[in-house]
Parts: sequence; structure tokens; C-alpha cells
Amino acid sequence: MADQLLFFIEVVVGGLLAGTMYSLVALGFVLIFKASATFNFSQGAMVFFAVLAFVGFMQDFNVPFVLAFFLAVGLMVIVGLCTERLVLRPLMNQSEDTLLMATIGLGYVLEGLAQAMWGVEVRRLDLGIKDFPIPWIADNLKLFISAIDLTAGIVAFGMIIGLSLLFKYTKMGLGLRAVADDAGAASSIGIPLKHIMLLVWSAAGVVALVAGMMWGARAGVQFALVDLALKALPVLIIGGFSSIPGAIIGGLLIGAVEKVLEVYIGPFFGGAIEGWAPYVLAIFFLLYRPEGLFGEKIIRRV
Amino acid sequence: MSSASGNILELKNVKVVYDNVILALHDVTLKVPKGKIVALLGGNGAGKSTTLKSISTMLASERGKVTGGSINYDGNAIEKQNPSQMVNMGMVQVLEGRRCFGHLTVEENIISGAYSRKLSRGDINQELEKIYGYFIRLKERRKSQAGFTSGGEQQMIAVARAMMAKPKMLLLDEPSMGLAPQLVAEIFNIVKELNEKEGVSVLLAEQNTNVALKNSDHGYIIETGKVMLEGSAKSLLNDDKVKELYLGISKEGRKNFRDVLKEESKKKSKIKVN
Repeated sequence: MADQLLFFIEVVVGGLLAGTMYSLVALGFVLIFKASATFNFSQGAMVFFAVLAFVGFMQDFNVPFVLAFFLAVGLMVIVGLCTERLVLRPLMNQSEDTLLMATIGLGYVLEGLAQAMWGVEVRRLDLGIKDFPIPWIADNLKLFISAIDLTAGIVAFGMIIGLSLLFKYTKMGLGLRAVADDAGAASSIGIPLKHIMLLVWSAAGVVALVAGMMWGARAGVQFALVDLALKALPVLIIGGFSSIPGAIIGGLLIGAVEKVLEVYIGPFFGGAIEGWAPYVLAIFFLLYRPEGLFGEKIIRRV
Repeated sequence: MSSASGNILELKNVKVVYDNVILALHDVTLKVPKGKIVALLGGNGAGKSTTLKSISTMLASERGKVTGGSINYDGNAIEKQNPSQMVNMGMVQVLEGRRCFGHLTVEENIISGAYSRKLSRGDINQELEKIYGYFIRLKERRKSQAGFTSGGEQQMIAVARAMMAKPKMLLLDEPSMGLAPQLVAEIFNIVKELNEKEGVSVLLAEQNTNVALKNSDHGYIIETGKVMLEGSAKSLLNDDKVKELYLGISKEGRKNFRDVLKEESKKKSKIKVN
């Protein structure tokens, strides 16, 4: 009995840690949704683009890890800048549907650009962290928790805290929250929307890079990352599109629930249900609580 | 940098079109002398908000466009500026319906008004104290979420937020909307005080003709996008047509301004014929 309980805890903890990554990606979506009221379909492509660039810098140009990271961050800021300049600004005051379509287009551009620059083959990313249980925890708590899960969890948690502090205590953060509440009123008191857009898209780009690195380290840097990032969609439906705490809790929930379902119910379906179980959960939420757990308003798009 | 005439704002024959087809302003000409309060009066859909938005350049975000006439603010022609440039030039609009940031605290709302100014923390706190001097009520509620404050408090937040940008000119869009008379009086008192002590010029759009005229120096009455009547606040308050249409009850039921003017001209022409 104790063993079973321990195993259950292990499954949940593993799920929660994996869930922090969903939270992180969902956070990127929420940022953009709050600032420009559109669902950014290019977020998955941003993950792919960012991490492929990072690996490309390291492997093709032999740039050291830290420098490659900052180069990739810089590149994502440039992507944010170009997006604001070339996509958002010309489409200002257009309907939200127009913006939505534009993000889909942007996604294809980023995917194509990434592959044109760095090639199409799957690349290995070694962060020096192994996908094995941490011995100390395994010995002392009898829990088998993968080192990479734990690292990813800590990194994601750290980023979420960092972003929250940034939004709470900096001038830019205040501007962002003001724009998120009422963009018209924000612009009437002189908050320049283009700066806020740049901040948001850059932050989403950096978040995408970190998420891509964590996933890439486990599964290889490959095109499938684009779809993996869309796992944030059920997270957002459950957590609410416009809520940062919602994205965090939604991610943890999806992570834990999909692992538990996979382990305990998966065998009845022949396994591999964690790929679609979150979407089923999301459908139930859409039917019974479409604004999500923490959403501020009814979801209108997507 | 002010124009030679002593007016901080001058509109000449301004015409505004929404969505390229809907004509919202036909012909608006008005002046705001430096340091004065000017009331822009008229009913729903008369074009008061549109006039204010054409000045603050907020029109673009609603697909509106100034297609004729000229707007001159503080010696500069207003054409291609955006709202944030206008704020930097000292012109801030307080939008209709208050539009506070509901999830931010009262204090965060007010501080956000200083976004366009490069101020240190210390300077911001100093400015805050000064603003709280005018809005004593808000100081008590500084830590509450703005969304949970009353309508009157939200209107005060909106004005306080605009004042944090240190404007030379405020555009107030219906500050009395949905507020109890006592609160309306309180807000107009604050506006007057800001005008006297901070030297802010004010253009305010109002439906509450009585209160607006009592608190301003000059008034313009517009209807269907056209200035129908203008004059000093006192003369408008004593004007029979204004009394009948905007202040009191007409003997013959409701009418609009155009009808009254038509009747008058008819009367005049009849007299001439006779």
C-alpha cells in the first residue's frame, strides 16, 4: 500500500514538474493575449525558432553555452521588434480576427526561416543534465524524480517568479498591466503601445527559448516542438486566457492530470493517452466553464 | 510657445468622418483661452466626444479621421501626432466612462499617469502627495483595487491619473456621467481648483448644462456636429433658448435646437414681410 502511494506521489510530482513547462509556454500566450487581445498561433514556431537558433549558434559556430543563450535572447528580441514593426503596427486598429490570422502567418514564416537557416535535421541538445532519477531523492525519499524534470521545474518556476516581479514592480510592467486592462485608456495617458508590444513579444520570445531548451534537451530539437507548444492551448482554456496565475495553475493541473491518467487509465486505451487527454479535459471546460478557472471574461476567439 | 492670440487651443471648421463614410462633425470652430475652463455642451450624439478625440488624436483608434479644417494647440498644428506625443506636449484627455485600470490599485492607476515623464521614485512620491492634496478621498483608498471603488472615486482616479502627466490642458469627457449631484459638485470643485492652482486649461464636454456652465468661463453648444451657439457662461445661463432647451422645461414639449432657430428665423422673416 505504501509503495502504491509512493508511486502515485511520484507520478503526480513528475507531472507537476512537467506541467511547469506548460505553464511557461502558456505564460507566453497569456502575455500576448493580454496586451494585444489575440491568440498568438506563432508561439509554437517561436519555441522552435528560438531553440534551433540557440543550438545552431552552439553547434555550427562553436559559440560557448552562455554566449549562445544570450545571442538567442537577442535574436528573440529582434524577432519581437520586427513583429511589432512589420506585423502589429500596420495592422493596428484592425479586427482581432485579422491579428489572429497574422499570427498564423507569422508562425509559418518563423518555421521556414528557422529551417532555412539551421537545416531540417533533428539536433541533440545536451544541457549536461541527465534524464535519470536523482540519486539523493531516490535514496532518502524513495521517490524517483528525473533530474531534467526537476531542473525544468525550478527554471520555469524561477522565470514565472521573475516575470511576476517584473510586472509588479517596474515601470514597464505597470505599463503592461495598464494596457492589458484598457489599451485605449492607457494610450490616452501617454503609455506608448509600441513599447509595451515590444516588451511583451520579447518576453514571450525569451520564455519560448527557455521552454524550447528544456523540451529540446529531452526530445531533441525538432519540428515536433511546434505542436508540443500547442499543448498550452488546453492549459489556457482551463486556466483562462487572460490570467497569469491561471496559466501557472492550469499548466500544473494539465501536467499532473495527464500523467495520472496515462499511468492509471492509459492501459485501458492501449496507452499514450497523455497526448490527447488534456484536450478532452479542455472540452469539458469549454462546455461547463468556458471562461476557465481564473479567466476574466468569456473566451471569444480560437 | 503659445500662439499670439492667447488661446491654448483653436479649432477652425473641423470636420470628422468615421469609417470613411459617417460624418460625425460638420463644422466645429472653437477656442480655449489659456488658463480658462470652456464647456462643450450638447445632447447624445451631438459630437462632443468626437470633438475631444479629434483634439487628443484618439480618433485614429476608432477609425475616425479629421477631413477638414484645422486644429491648433499651443502654437502647433495637430495633424499626424499620436496620443502619446500629445501627452508629451501637455494635452491629456480623460475619456468618457472613466476607464480606470480595474485590476490595478488606486495608487498604481495614478502613478501610471506619470508614465510619459521621466521621474525618479522620489519625484513620483512627491507628485503623488501633491495630487492627493486635491483628491483627499483617494489617499484613504490608495491600496484598494480601482475596480472596486465607487463611480465618483473612479472619476477622481481618472482625473488624478491625467494630472500626473502634468498637463497644460485637460480634455474632460462627461465627468458627471452617472454620478450623484453631490459628487458631481465635488468633482467640479476639484477641476476648478486644479484650474486655478495648477493653471490647467480645461475643455469639458458635458450633458449636465447647468453644472458645467456654472463652473466654466465660456460655453459652446453643439448639435449634430455643428456649433449652434456660443458665449460666455453667464450669458448662456441667462439665454432664453438655452434655458428652454437645456436647463428648464419647454412649454411646447421637447424640441431640438435647429427647430428653435428655424422658428426664430421664420418669425423674423414674417415680421419683415409684414
